[in-house]
Amino acid sequence: MNASLAQAAVHQQEENQFFKQFPSLTTPSMRITAIREELLSTRYSICLERPTLLEKFKKSRQGRQAKSAHPLIRRAMAIAYILSHRTPKIYDNELIVGNMTSKRVAGNYYPEGGSINILEDLFRLGKRQIPIYLTPREKFQLAGIGIKTSLTSVGGKTLLRPGRFSHFLDFFRAKRYFITEEAGIAHQVGNYGDVVHNGLVRADMKAKQSLDERKIKDGTPLSPDQESFFKSVRIVIEGIRQMAANLADTAEKKAGQPGISDERRQELLTSAAACRHVPYHPARSFLEGLQSCWLVHVAMNLEDFEQGMSFGRLDQILYFLYSRERESGQLSPEKGAEIMASFQLKTCETMPLYSERIDQYFSGNAVAQGITVGGTDAEGNDVTNELSGLILDAFAQIRTREPALHVRVHKNTPSWFLEKAVETLQLGCGKPSFFGDAAVVRALETAGMTTEHARDYAVIGCVEMASQGRTYNSSDACLFNLPICLELSLNEGRRFLGWNPVRRRFGAVTPPVTQMKSFDDVVSAFRAQVNDSVSEMVKVISWLENTYRISRPTPINSIVTEGCLDKGKDVTWGGGFYDLTSIQVAGLADAGDSLYAIKKLVFEEKRMSLSALVDILKNNFSGQEALRQELVNKFPHYGNGNPEVDRMTQLAADVYSDAITSHKNTRGGKYVPGIYSMTCHIGFGRKTGALPNGRLAGMRLSNGLSPIDGLDRCGPTAVLRSAASLDSHKWTNCCALNMKFDKKIVAGKTGRNALTGIFRTYFDQGGMQVQANVLDAEMLREARRDPSAHPSLVVRVSGYCAYFNDLQPDVQDEIIERTAHGIG
Amino acid sequence: MESGDMGHSKDPAVFSIQHFCLHDGPGVRSIVFFKGCPLRCSWCQNPESWRTAPELAFKAHLCIDCKTCVNACPQQAISAPGHRDLQKCGQCFTCVENCPSGALVCFGKYYTVEDVAEALRPEFPYFENTGGGVTFSGGEPTLFPSFITGLSNRLHKEGIHTAMETCGYFDPETDTRFLSDMDLVLFDIKLFDEPAHLRFCGKSNTYIKKNLTRLAGMAFAGTGPDIWPRLPLIPSITDTTENLTGWAQFLDSIGIHYLTLVPYHNLGGSKRQWLNLPPAPEFSALTDERLGDAAKLLEQHGISCFAPGEEDWVQIDFKTASGNRKVT
Repeated sequence: MNASLAQAAVHQQEENQFFKQFPSLTTPSMRITAIREELLSTRYSICLERPTLLEKFKKSRQGRQAKSAHPLIRRAMAIAYILSHRTPKIYDNELIVGNMTSKRVAGNYYPEGGSINILEDLFRLGKRQIPIYLTPREKFQLAGIGIKTSLTSVGGKTLLRPGRFSHFLDFFRAKRYFITEEAGIAHQVGNYGDVVHNGLVRADMKAKQSLDERKIKDGTPLSPDQESFFKSVRIVIEGIRQMAANLADTAEKKAGQPGISDERRQELLTSAAACRHVPYHPARSFLEGLQSCWLVHVAMNLEDFEQGMSFGRLDQILYFLYSRERESGQLSPEKGAEIMASFQLKTCETMPLYSERIDQYFSGNAVAQGITVGGTDAEGNDVTNELSGLILDAFAQIRTREPALHVRVHKNTPSWFLEKAVETLQLGCGKPSFFGDAAVVRALETAGMTTEHARDYAVIGCVEMASQGRTYNSSDACLFNLPICLELSLNEGRRFLGWNPVRRRFGAVTPPVTQMKSFDDVVSAFRAQVNDSVSEMVKVISWLENTYRISRPTPINSIVTEGCLDKGKDVTWGGGFYDLTSIQVAGLADAGDSLYAIKKLVFEEKRMSLSALVDILKNNFSGQEALRQELVNKFPHYGNGNPEVDRMTQLAADVYSDAITSHKNTRGGKYVPGIYSMTCHIGFGRKTGALPNGRLAGMRLSNGLSPIDGLDRCGPTAVLRSAASLDSHKWTNCCALNMKFDKKIVAGKTGRNALTGIFRTYFDQGGMQVQANVLDAEMLREARRDPSAHPSLVVRVSGYCAYFNDLQPDVQDEIIERTAHGIG
Repeated sequence: MESGDMGHSKDPAVFSIQHFCLHDGPGVRSIVFFKGCPLRCSWCQNPESWRTAPELAFKAHLCIDCKTCVNACPQQAISAPGHRDLQKCGQCFTCVENCPSGALVCFGKYYTVEDVAEALRPEFPYFENTGGGVTFSGGEPTLFPSFITGLSNRLHKEGIHTAMETCGYFDPETDTRFLSDMDLVLFDIKLFDEPAHLRFCGKSNTYIKKNLTRLAGMAFAGTGPDIWPRLPLIPSITDTTENLTGWAQFLDSIGIHYLTLVPYHNLGGSKRQWLNLPPAPEFSALTDERLGDAAKLLEQHGISCFAPGEEDWVQIDFKTASGNRKVT
């Protein structure tokens, strides 16, 4: 009779002996606390050093020479100039050195693209929701740089041309898609294993050999482009070495200053020695391994731009160095965790520059420098190790907005590790996110990766995918508005919203609704609109790709991407072993639920004609509130474990995936779909008319793989079940399933056991990704002020759970108080 | 339609099946809320559980005043949204079916064992991966002994752990074999003093004490389910020294030395409005301090106290010990 209870006991523990022995790894040292406090108390700013150096470079002798050089060399010289001339800074206490900008916490300004939008906020930088502080002189300087460089940015170069002007305007009026690639490509998980273990010297020698022998790996003689490529590689490596050497000088200088403690002096000298050695040479210690990764990471940030630059599977890459030092007694676990925490804190030095307008689409101020832990080796064996846990523990010490943490889960993931990951999640920072190896590997194989390479996947930025170190994935090229395609398909390619006296068509020509006799006709029109929208988007991305090749190649990225040195090609020229362009979707559940509503209301129950429904939508349900309420409250929705309606979300996903995967990029790589939306579902929502699922015009759309906010009425297990039931094998760029939990419900051991168990079940059932927010009192207060803020928030009310919005205001207040006080 | 409060043996009405519940037994659980309860505790937060028959509720804050209900009612019993002539109403719930906004809801739906089992089936993997299961609650599940036996056996066949939350009010002389079909019984106790129990809960507590004694005996003899008592702490009503001391001594006498304290929150108010019931009497909310005091008092009597969901389930071992458990 007690079998189940005993079973519960088995599930409770299977603790890792190591972490039992070292429970203090989550407690920050004084040093870590000090660095953290310093970072958190620093006001955000903008660093203008990079654009200033670029200007200086253009005027310098080298810059004048570069003008007539091959574009690859020209770019490499500019990057090397920036790297070797930037101010080296070493901050107090830190064990991993190398400043991301010239300021303590700032966004780098990238005149090539991606930063210019911040000028929209120039006159109210300090008054934004996320304030940015600049001196009046800096503001003036920023305006000058912005004006001077806007025409020469990638977007400007590509789109300010005859016939492309409306596409240029699309950046300010994004409706069908939002092309993020205009800002830069970035988004990479470089081959940090190679950097750490072989050093950049390997790439340097390889380039030298090709130049000396005048042929590439397969024996083909060098073309002029290839020759320039290999030269560009050697130029940027020299730039990185110079940057490291400058840091080493600074460290030594600091060490020599009076008043420095002996301990700190020793640390500075260690850092100096590390920077003289790595990343050019192989790392000799755990600290040097991280230092090596960090310096290359900084270089990659300065080369392209900051978004999604990720580290990959650091627990695998660094384990050799870590365990060697641990075994020889040179490194204690506490010290290891401290070095790791110091490393992770470095990621907080940077931020993106988004104007508040753009912030609607990408809110959260994150650049998502991803670290992936856990998972399997190429043969599928579990390789979770001590370091996997230590990386999570180091994050528990700092609890900051960066880095992004990603946990790989497969059927042999040890319980202690999954539990530790859930414990980290319980801290309330929304990290880590969880990935199901089985589904992810399958989706990567769909894109043509070998099983072995797919199993070596790491997460780019938030959820995007790469086989680490061998993939060039423009993983956040564009975000796509799926529901607006349905709107267009119901109105012959025109929007419901907006002033359109000349009846300008916005999408493809599809038949009027009066001619749609079956649900299949609706789906065909929807498919036609999606295809048209995708083709249009691909056209613009192709233009950008061509501009990138000439004006913004990325030699450092090419060094850390397998394939480039073999082929003698920059990644922007198609050098990567795997090449992808990824498009993300917003409003998937809205599209699916709307298709279901049309099918049921018009074609099955025949309650009204399609044109009558469309008239209601055009009028934004005016005078039809009862119907709208019925659609919202009485029709089933995705996310409640109802297979019939979930199938429609699958259909919407398939229409979208098929449209995406039918294209190839200009590098010869595949287009692949991803199911996540940043916060584009809000921006897109404003431009999208009323939908058949009862959503009013202008309201936000559903995000990623999540159900529509508030319409997941059967609890978290049903959401997970619906999500896991969808066929994800085409979603090579993964998906994001957002969940929210009341901290009270999922606290402590009980919550840990529950979350661990439901996530494991989700992945057993084929789930691909899940991320959860454990909400605290402040979020509840926000929900109280604005019911739409957290509509599907489940809270615990004495013996049962309820949707927060279902509760009377006074009850809500009491729950808020309860949460704040932590009464049982 | 409505039968008496006790002895109802046909298929019960269930007013909710909730998933992902973490505070009513071990692991992730689904709770089946049966409709019908012999008690009327003044602080009750689930008034929709009182009557056995399905009943109509009106959530005024959701009403959009579309009058669909007025037009849909075959008996013309509704004059305006929220205004129903109880004499005319035939309990057909056509209005609920037609209400677009969900303002009109029907609490309770008749289920067969198979219906409930099917509704629970998708949750089985979560139970397995968390050591969870199904908890029967209410209302009062012991009102439906044959149904409980059927459902419990059905679930046991699939290896699912079953628990029951009971108020303990059922005739100890009747056939109570169905209790043996449970793995765990969460036994709610309220007031120790009989007149007080009668006053605040509407019934005497004689049965309750007898049943608790008997169940504890069965548990220790290995012939019944595990048993775990729970006490809602209502300020000045159940958290008094006399009441706590009374229960502490009683529990000690039957060999149980652990108890879950369920802190009272005044959160059931809106439901009474929906059901057109008079508002619940006001009790002040339980402060952390009073909760601490109550726990301290009970611990002094050798009773270990737990918060809901934080029980140390694995410590129950009736087969080897006399119910004495380690104090955490």
